[in-house]
Amino acid sequence: MIDRRTLPSRKEQNGQMTEKVVLKERGESWLRTMVRGRLFEQSLGELYERGELVGVVHLSIGLEATAAGVCSNLRKGDQITSTHRGHNHMIARGLEPERMFAEILGRSTGYCGGKGGSMHVANFELGSVGANGIVGAGVPMAAGLGVAAQKLGTGNVAVAFCGDGAANQGVVWESLNLAALWKIPVIFVCENNGFSEFTPTDRVTAGPGIADRAIGYGVSGVVVDGTNVGAVSAVAEGAIDRARSGEGPTFIETRAERWRGHHEGEESYVGTYRETKEFKDPIVQLIQEMDAAGLDGSLLYEKIHAEEKDLIERSLAVAQQAPLPELSTALEDVFS
Amino acid sequence: MSPTSTAKRLTPAMADAIAQEMRSDPTVYLWGVDVTVGVMGPTRGLAKEFGPDKIRDCPISEAGFVGAAVGAAIGGLRPIVDIMFSSFTYVAFDQIVNQAGRIRYMTGGQLSVPMVIIGSAGAAGANAAQHSEVPSALFMNAGGLRVAFPSTAHQAFWLMRSAIRSDDPVVFLFHPALASARGEVRDEPLHLGDAEIGPEGTDLSILATGMMATRARAAAAVLAERGIWAEVVDVCSLSPLPWDAILKSVRKTGRVLAVEEARLTCSAASELAAGITERAWADLKAPVKRLAVPDTPIPFAPTLEESLIPSEEDIVKAAEEVASA
Ligand SMILES: Cc1ncc(C[n+]2csc(CCOP(=O)(O)OP(=O)(O)O)c2C)c(N)n1
Repeated sequence: MIDRRTLPSRKEQNGQMTEKVVLKERGESWLRTMVRGRLFEQSLGELYERGELVGVVHLSIGLEATAAGVCSNLRKGDQITSTHRGHNHMIARGLEPERMFAEILGRSTGYCGGKGGSMHVANFELGSVGANGIVGAGVPMAAGLGVAAQKLGTGNVAVAFCGDGAANQGVVWESLNLAALWKIPVIFVCENNGFSEFTPTDRVTAGPGIADRAIGYGVSGVVVDGTNVGAVSAVAEGAIDRARSGEGPTFIETRAERWRGHHEGEESYVGTYRETKEFKDPIVQLIQEMDAAGLDGSLLYEKIHAEEKDLIERSLAVAQQAPLPELSTALEDVFS
Repeated sequence: MSPTSTAKRLTPAMADAIAQEMRSDPTVYLWGVDVTVGVMGPTRGLAKEFGPDKIRDCPISEAGFVGAAVGAAIGGLRPIVDIMFSSFTYVAFDQIVNQAGRIRYMTGGQLSVPMVIIGSAGAAGANAAQHSEVPSALFMNAGGLRVAFPSTAHQAFWLMRSAIRSDDPVVFLFHPALASARGEVRDEPLHLGDAEIGPEGTDLSILATGMMATRARAAAAVLAERGIWAEVVDVCSLSPLPWDAILKSVRKTGRVLAVEEARLTCSAASELAAGITERAWADLKAPVKRLAVPDTPIPFAPTLEESLIPSEEDIVKAAEEVASA
């Protein structure tokens, strides 16, 4: 018989305010990361509008707090695996906008030499094994990165970002089972944005909630407001600490809505599948919290916004001037 | 005689074929991720007529819903699964290859798996390595799977009807860049196992599927202006291969170019080259030539992608070589 009282329970971490000391110490960095990600993706949206982007781009505007909140607790050597909607994860992990733009524009100076594009931006040195075009596929790899860290004794952890849609891929739960059994230093971060591509999540997802599923594996499942960077960070910090100290995985479900559709240009074939409304803005929320704590978030935002806007504009201009890859490179990197 | 479908484009012709089969056979069901929206085209509009009971949006659980289709097929339905990009079949590979393709054989012919798996195949411009593959050779090699890869609305319509009626599992591919290719559906039924020949020619046979078949037809027009009469054999049924049609063309021309939008090694083009050489050696006037993608994944950058995939000019050039060899 299982004693249900000893099983971890699903926790809700909502509506909480971040302490002033924490805001003071980390608010500026969160704000900068989120603003950078926002501006980066807004300019991708504009490029798409103007017909200057190729391929499929999935924007994560509105979801910045998960990326910033989780990645701000990682250190050098830790690795993340990401999704088709991964630009903010990459920005938060410290990848440079210039080389990201270059990758997405198919230029030789891109992180992957133009071979990966929007869905495959990666840089191992900076701690990102990469975005992924296959829903759920990054999750077992994060578990494996955790095993490598464990066996090599590096003290590093891995984070698996996935979407609510990915929570219906069996491999996610196979990975969680392994992670629980082997006490792998890996954190599962499931961004529940309410849509699995074009279908409302609850129409394709059984049960009371995604985080609840983790409980069946004896892993604690935490639900957190994905527009509240401080709350996300607090949960992630705890999970990362536990993972690093050998206590195994945590499953975090963050809830925030994406402002854009599934991908840019979808209007050409999808009718209206969701209502237009005001979305919660993680950036505004942080500014307000800082203002309320007497830290003048509004002023700081003006400054950061101007600096980041300049950075993004310069980065894009450089990327747009970067050379196309030599055609011979198409045949390289197949084998070691 | 009136045409059997008024569809004028490739994926709408597939949708029309599905609709016609659904109207006449209550055991036909269709499911997949966002099939109501119809992301890639072939299921667009079907939910409106048939509703969510017949046209069912699935969670992103390919191994699960493909496997469920295998079971439903054994149990008496004729399920159609839209997998979206054919690369997503890799997530469900066991159910397709190890289960669907083998069950009839392993049970000594007791069980049938009448199902269709629809997937887009090929590069449509900067979708990178996980959304650009033509996986036909994998399924041709699996054993027990029929494979169709139409390149026109006509082929798409008739082969889809034939696929739904087939008592075997069928992998049904179409090229995403041909999804809205225009074309009439003629009142001349095609069946799984058929090839389609056209234009006819006497100097060489160009064998191709999907986008390569489309480019081969364009190349044939260019070649004709240069006095080379190429016959294009659209191998729209890839498993089992339509050897009679292929060999008839080869025996007429004695020269063969096999073109493929997939990696060369173990490609459909490779199988065609080997099979033709074995079966029609005496009729060949020149070595069979293959034109395919180098053995690499498909890169993202459009310039790189384009450099790897045979173009119309590449086909013309290779055909000229074969014709003069
Ligand atoms: C295995 C697989 N199936 C389907 C797709 C197509 N696809 C890309 S993103 C996506 C939706 C993913 O939903 P979710 O995980 O909730 O992430 P979101 O897009 O909502 O951020 C789908 C179905 C894919 N890329 N891989």
